[in-house]
Amino acid sequence: MTLLLRLSLRNLLRQKRRNVLLGTAMALGVMILIVANSFSHGISDIMFNKIMRWVTGHVSVRFNEKGGIMREIFRDRERARAALEGEPDVEQVDESIGYFMRAIGNGKSDNIILVGVNTGDGIDEKTRKEVEESFRLVEGRWEDLRDPAIENPAIVSLEKARTLNVKKNDVLRVRFRNMFAQDQAARLTVVGIMKNDNIFMQPVIFVELSNTKAMLGFRPYETASLSLKVANPQKTARALADRIHDRLKPGLAFISGEAANGPRRHGVTVVGYKSDDASKQKLSEKLKLTAGTLEAALKSDGVILPQPLAEALALSPGEAFGLSFDRKFEATKADLTFKVSAVCRSDDGLGDDTVLMNDDKFYDAYYENLPANSGAAFTPGKGSAWAPLFSPEWILLDRTANTDDYKKKYMEMSKKKWKGTTVDVSTMYETASDILKLEGVLNLITLSAVMVLFFIILLGVVNTLRMTIRERTREIGTVRAIGMQQADVKRLFVLETFFLTLFASAAGTLAGFAAMAGLSRLTFHLQDNPFGMLFVNGHLHFVPTFLGVAGNNLLISAIAVVTAYFPARRAARLSPAKALRHFE
Amino acid sequence: MKNVLIALLLFLFPAAALAESRVLSILQAIDDNYKLKSDVRADVALTQQKPEQGTKVIGMDYYRRDSDDAFLMAMTAPENEKGNGYLRVGDNFWMYRKNTRTFQHVNRDESIGGTDAHGSDFETRKLTELYAPAAGADGQELISEEMLGQVPVFKSEVKAKVNDVDYPKKIFWTRRDNGLLLKQESYSLSGTLMQTAYFLKFTVIDGRYIAVKHVYIDEFEKGNKTVVDISNIVVQKLDDSIFTKATLENLSK
Repeated sequence: MTLLLRLSLRNLLRQKRRNVLLGTAMALGVMILIVANSFSHGISDIMFNKIMRWVTGHVSVRFNEKGGIMREIFRDRERARAALEGEPDVEQVDESIGYFMRAIGNGKSDNIILVGVNTGDGIDEKTRKEVEESFRLVEGRWEDLRDPAIENPAIVSLEKARTLNVKKNDVLRVRFRNMFAQDQAARLTVVGIMKNDNIFMQPVIFVELSNTKAMLGFRPYETASLSLKVANPQKTARALADRIHDRLKPGLAFISGEAANGPRRHGVTVVGYKSDDASKQKLSEKLKLTAGTLEAALKSDGVILPQPLAEALALSPGEAFGLSFDRKFEATKADLTFKVSAVCRSDDGLGDDTVLMNDDKFYDAYYENLPANSGAAFTPGKGSAWAPLFSPEWILLDRTANTDDYKKKYMEMSKKKWKGTTVDVSTMYETASDILKLEGVLNLITLSAVMVLFFIILLGVVNTLRMTIRERTREIGTVRAIGMQQADVKRLFVLETFFLTLFASAAGTLAGFAAMAGLSRLTFHLQDNPFGMLFVNGHLHFVPTFLGVAGNNLLISAIAVVTAYFPARRAARLSPAKALRHFE
Repeated sequence: MKNVLIALLLFLFPAAALAESRVLSILQAIDDNYKLKSDVRADVALTQQKPEQGTKVIGMDYYRRDSDDAFLMAMTAPENEKGNGYLRVGDNFWMYRKNTRTFQHVNRDESIGGTDAHGSDFETRKLTELYAPAAGADGQELISEEMLGQVPVFKSEVKAKVNDVDYPKKIFWTRRDNGLLLKQESYSLSGTLMQTAYFLKFTVIDGRYIAVKHVYIDEFEKGNKTVVDISNIVVQKLDDSIFTKATLENLSK
């Protein structure tokens, strides 16, 4: 075998010019394949780790209260965070807030997206650097975002600063509707101007998260949707999302409090009933009203009292009663007033002190004044036939596999007009699976183009081998005459091609890396071009992977060897006598 | 567009009924008159003036029935909006697009046709449920007697009781003799004056005062102004068939 190796290497050197030309063509193909493959990986890396990672996180836990697309709030921050505890893969948890606003600068106005960023609490140095690299400041300092002496410090994109005619230290006025549809106005002080190649980041204005939350009406114990940065996301994100989803299964929502009508007082448990058509139908079948109408009972402000409670409080339909209960996060009690819509019998397992309330009305009271009993098990309803009709603490949406399913889920959600908070756990590989598809398509296009190139190159390989065999027919006859076996002749030619491909692949790989290094140094100015988002700080971004490079080399070598096999077999099958007589 | 709702909310303003507080009586009067006893149809024209965009006139046919919280609006102008419309029956609110001939459900926080109006603006809610009299430092209601031009008025201030109203603070100027609302200021949560509305012209239909010309001045983005003109008001029982998708489709042809 060693002899064969030596012979094949020597034979390669015998036809230097021909082999160098052929090897160069092969190296060129390998180089293109590696560069293109690394570029498509780079696009995925930009999309996932430099865009989606900031927009949704590797894993996101999204909350939408009362079906409101912009109402991304969960009233119990600690409870939401508890679902993430004990997960070593979670490197960082951010609250994700982005809000459309109207901004007025110096004589100019325009729409902006205000994004809350956490540059202080619990941020490690690595993340801080990532932020600073992703959003380069051309003026100002990131630290100024946290300066309490400045009114709502903000960092504005260069393009937006131009549009609004503002510069550092100028004041911007913004108007917007906060999560509860209240008109709000605020003043932002420009402390920095940033530059970003991503055209979609041009309307963005960054404000420290704590200031953003205060502007939007969050209370300290409430949280916006959560975005998680995790270690090794491709491997861990989906399983992590599944585990968080399991931990976020809701219980039944209820309020333990005291109902009062004048001097009459009675302990009550208030539950919401689901107000979708199917649940209302079931409820209308179960309810045995003794006063009031079913129509009033099922309206959006419907409140149904059991007969014993109505008697104890001396209440009848149309009359108002007070409800007071301890709140989880406030020192004072909640004091609310409701109007009785109907009275029903309680001998069907409902309970003598259970007040039923349309979930539209119920969730308003429940979320705004999260009761002290929140998070506790709802025992009165446990196992009851009524339980499926009662409203949960929140609505946990099913996990989805890809972007199409995810879109369907949200279209469905907008139709269902949820009254409670929807909770959705997803990874960016589901919400942005189209990006993975894009990477796959880019790779396929590259591979197809290179395969066409290689087909042409391989024609050259076959032709070269045929010429070599023809030129070396007498040599083949000689080596066969002195005892070389057919199989060895075949191996000799295959080995020659293999070595040629190996050296060409190595050269192509080196050339590919050199090309990537060279192309990465070029600076493109694409601020107003959508393709700018495919660049990092104006530079092309390549992410070569070991598997990608090795796979491409192996593929090319395998194809070349297979192509060489047939001419080599033909050479091996030559009769030694005929070969020796061969003359050109 | 958002002003359409406000215009329609303030469609009728008769004298205020007495209530336990002077400010509450003003709110109560607005509520009482917002809830129409009979159905109504009218032509509504909104003239929007924006310094950067010029003047835009939006016209619509408007039908309203309060007994089941139903209304229908069919756009008649401008040309690119003509044929589009909105229909609400009870809790269901749809937007109709003529170009695609499709109905789309509107969420309460969804923008209507790319304007600053939202689905929630079209909900029927009582002012007395949303607002309460604001109290001064002395704990007294903020109400005073003033002159608005030559007209003697009450100036009263209210604050939101719930957190999902568009303006958390409002100040009303109502005539002292008949309770008509003449001017209204709306403030943001942070206390910034966002909008001033003037009700300039009234007509009496079916024994009630109806404001037929309103002006809304955007105090935040200076130069923006909307004038609402309501004409051809007809108070009559409207057929059930009007508040249907089919009617909206037919009106759009």
